[in-house]
Amino acid sequence: MSKKTNQGIAFWIFRLLGLIVVGILIWILGFIVWNGIGVINWDFLTKAPTDGMTGGGIFPAIVGTCCLVVGSMVVAFPIGVMSAIYTTEYAGNGKIVRFIRIMTNNLSGIPSIIFGLFGMALFVNALGWGDSIIAGSFTLGLLVLPLVIRTTEEALMAIPDSFRTGSLALGATKLQTIRRVVLPMAFPNIVTGLILSIGRVSGETAPILFTVAAYFLPKLPTSIFDQVMALPYHLYVIATSGTDLEATRPIAYGTALVLIAIVLMMNLLASLLRRYFGKKVKTN
Amino acid sequence: MIQAKNVDFYYGDFHALKNISMEIAANTVTAFIGPSGCGKSTFLRLFNRMNDMIPDTRLTGQCIVDGSDIYGKGVNVDDLRRRVGMVFQKPNPFPKSIFENVAYGLRVNGITDKEFIRNRVEESLRSAALWNEVKDKLKKSAFELSGGQQQRLCIARAMAIKPSVLLMDEPASALDPISTSKIEEMIHELKKDYTIVIVTHNMQQAARVSDMTGFFMLGELIEFSDTKKMFLNPDKQQTQNYITGRFG
Repeated sequence: MSKKTNQGIAFWIFRLLGLIVVGILIWILGFIVWNGIGVINWDFLTKAPTDGMTGGGIFPAIVGTCCLVVGSMVVAFPIGVMSAIYTTEYAGNGKIVRFIRIMTNNLSGIPSIIFGLFGMALFVNALGWGDSIIAGSFTLGLLVLPLVIRTTEEALMAIPDSFRTGSLALGATKLQTIRRVVLPMAFPNIVTGLILSIGRVSGETAPILFTVAAYFLPKLPTSIFDQVMALPYHLYVIATSGTDLEATRPIAYGTALVLIAIVLMMNLLASLLRRYFGKKVKTN
Repeated sequence: MIQAKNVDFYYGDFHALKNISMEIAANTVTAFIGPSGCGKSTFLRLFNRMNDMIPDTRLTGQCIVDGSDIYGKGVNVDDLRRRVGMVFQKPNPFPKSIFENVAYGLRVNGITDKEFIRNRVEESLRSAALWNEVKDKLKKSAFELSGGQQQRLCIARAMAIKPSVLLMDEPASALDPISTSKIEEMIHELKKDYTIVIVTHNMQQAARVSDMTGFFMLGELIEFSDTKKMFLNPDKQQTQNYITGRFG
């Protein structure tokens, strides 16, 4: 077989596999949209479930998921970014940093149900927060912490050292250099990490199972110590343990559709932000 | 005034600078020449403690700037770098506007007076011979400038905080001949206000811009004398060989 034919065959295999991936994604999305779009209407998005969850909407679950996303980011983002700044900018390459890196990697390998159990033991019981938004946010926050640290580290390491030395040579302190030069440059990529974390957090079920999620709670939360419903858990409930599974099937697809739509919208928002700041960094 | 007394410097086990002593007078231009890896850049970077950032390095001897040992106890490194500015081989403007690049050094040193900053930015850009080219686009990104303009911007940025010493590490090696000659002219002008030390690979450049020249080889300072003498009638055979291009 000639080199050219070989090349051609390899190329087609790669292209085919690439197309298959896209195909699967479109299939999943199409399947969810096809089955779920029928139940989506204003009431579905703004009303609480009714009639033993066979009717009404999913508004409390949407609100709950949004609370958990915001809450977990408030927990994970500052801790993650600051520890990434420590490991990349301050700590050099000593034993402590290597230890932190290994531990961070290990943390990301722990199954999410373990985080759920740990969150229940620590936040719900030991700290006495009960099943609550704050307990769920901390649990989810811990879960995405390795992701935030990793992506922030990568964003910081991508900044060439010449910018740091340039700043230090002007008498700027290390902290000033990080705040005024390194972080603004790394910001767009740090936001990418945030996007990934939000996607991860809004879809997780196991960590919220024992720490925050309510089976049925039409009332909206009034404080961070309240329980909430959440989309992934609601989906699980109405798909497996509702009162009338046949009747709730369309609602389950509708819920899945909303969940996917929220994740996609947040990604879109974040990438718009990213583009905006990317421009600002260049021209400011 | 800058002074080195019996300086030895190591990267790990590598003995990069060997027992170097030198005195550089104020308001002069001093050029360091020598083959790659001879230690001239390392020596230059001692004077604003840029080598501090490289792990596992060691220094013995004394480096004195304005009368005090800059490696002594209680030395504030940020403050030292304010007094000893540096221009790097590759232009490294920040991803900020032209104006903010020059204002950066003032801002990080706590100056907030807008009028003062504006005047100082203009003054610095003028002495870097860049003002006329950028005065109408101070708000534009520094990345929009050409390489030569970026390097002059970096020089303006270094001058804005009025250091007494300006270290230049091959400032023109990445530039075209026209930009290079602009920077050389500028160095002549700057001599009035600054003590300038420049590392260069270009011997004509050293001959053109400097009052004194130091020739380094394998971590040793072979010869340090008046530039004219150095290029016309050096004391050492090694210097003679290098400047006539017989090696290096």
